[in-house]
Amino acid sequence: MSRQPLDLTINGESYQLMVEPHWSLLQVLRRELGMTGTKENCLEAECGVCTVLLDGKAVNSCILLAEQARGRSIVTIEGLGDPEHLHPLQRAFIDHGAVQCGYCIPGMILTAKSFLDECRGHVPSEAEVREALSGTLCRCTGYQKIVEAVIAAARQLNSWPEEAGRAS
Amino acid sequence: MSFAFHRPDSIDAAIAVAREHGASARFLAGGTDLIIQINRRRIAPEHLISLAGLGLDTIGETGSEFVIGAMATHDAVVGHPAFQKQLKALTEASAVVGGRQVRNIATVGGNIVNASPAADLVPVLLTLDATVELRGGAGTRTLPLDRFLVERGRTERRPDEILTAVRFDKPPADSATAFLKAGRRKAMEISVICVAAHLVSDGKARIAIGAAASRTLRVPAAEAIVEKGGRAAFAEAGRIAARQMSPIDDVRASARYRRLLVAAMVERALGICADRIEGKST
Ligand SMILES: Cc1cc2nc3c(=O)[nH]c(=O)nc-3n(C[C@H](O)[C@H](O)[C@H](O)COP(=O)(O)OP(=O)(O)OC[C@H]3O[C@@H](n4cnc5c(N)ncnc54)[C@H](O)[C@@H]3O)c2cc1C
Ligand code: FES
Ligand code: FES
Repeated sequence: MSRQPLDLTINGESYQLMVEPHWSLLQVLRRELGMTGTKENCLEAECGVCTVLLDGKAVNSCILLAEQARGRSIVTIEGLGDPEHLHPLQRAFIDHGAVQCGYCIPGMILTAKSFLDECRGHVPSEAEVREALSGTLCRCTGYQKIVEAVIAAARQLNSWPEEAGRAS
Repeated sequence: MSFAFHRPDSIDAAIAVAREHGASARFLAGGTDLIIQINRRRIAPEHLISLAGLGLDTIGETGSEFVIGAMATHDAVVGHPAFQKQLKALTEASAVVGGRQVRNIATVGGNIVNASPAADLVPVLLTLDATVELRGGAGTRTLPLDRFLVERGRTERRPDEILTAVRFDKPPADSATAFLKAGRRKAMEISVICVAAHLVSDGKARIAIGAAASRTLRVPAAEAIVEKGGRAAFAEAGRIAARQMSPIDDVRASARYRRLLVAAMVERALGICADRIEGKST
């Protein structure tokens, strides 16, 4: 055992942990903190179910050492919204029936969030959304509804005057 | 499996840790290759030296050059305003490295030092005659990227040397670059073949090919006939390039198919460059 102290900021809260240097952020989230909303599958950055936001950008927590997140801000699906205050992406996924077994959905929503944050000012095309989600696999293959939900959320999030003008 | 994690607070401190631990240490950039290699037990370093927070992630320019810090991510390359016109191939290549989650953390330096023959940014940098800047215990040196790359997984880097930046001349206004990648699907796929081309209207031509030999290669013979013959020689340049490669059969594609791709993609990449210079396409 060679645990080292590590302070992490997750969903705005600060956590003081003792971690082994080789532990992934995914391992720390699920096993140390019981935050099981972030899923675990391929462990090789291929499937995207472990996606979290690191300083606002989507990354695969399965191949990110917890140490690499030191001093940075982490957001997991637990931090995005709650049943009373759903994030527009969560609302849109429900409204569009985009959730089947649900396993890929936390990663899907966080990947989409990171992408939509970069799209500020325009509603992405279907092709752009498909490309943006290409690192996140859905084995129930409900891609059409997922893509529609992301575009609907983008429209709703788009309260920027420029876009509002174009839409009307 | 475990290792000690070092977070040096300066480049010199990072080099000192590397010197102390020699072959048992590795530098950690984004980790998208390194951590997977460790998890697969292909390598078992005892020390990881983080290169984060050392100021190596800036993309800057001097009067005549662009300088990309080794820790700049592929995402930062894609979003860079200077890489939209003559240097568009940089954006085209970085935009197809893995998915967004990989591009948000994987670095330019990792793509180069990894020395994978399929690294997507490397052919583009070769066509720009890029040089790499290395800093180690013996000081700083620069090497042409073409000399730095030895073969799959091997470079001229000494164990205590950090790749700090990659630099290349600003291209003239009447020039263009293009990058093409063939994979088994459109996104999230390692290249079956990737091709970069760079043309200047005074005639200068550069062609580089990835995943077709034991390292990414330029094709001087094909470049020479384009420099003489212009657009009429693009197809012949593709045929020459295909003959000079030594592709392998693997799970992704056969050697024969790879050769056919090289010929077609070289011709097409040169055509895109010519169209871009003439303003026929963006
Ligand atoms: C799912 C997935 C898909 C991928 N798809 C692609 C793809 O389509 N195209 C492609 O080209 N690559 C792809 N890659 C490979 C990889 O992501 C890239 O090559 C990336 O640029 C590596 O950068 P990194 O910062 O993660 O490197 P790391 O993993 O941190 O480092 C790689 C190697 O280089 C050394 N190193 C890194 N930086 C330095 C430095 N500055 N000085 C000295 N040594 C250094 C490390 O010690 C290590 O040996 C993919 C990877 C994954 C996991
Ligand atoms: S578990 Fe991380 S990408 Fe599959
Ligand atoms: S909803 Fe089942 S994997 Fe996507």
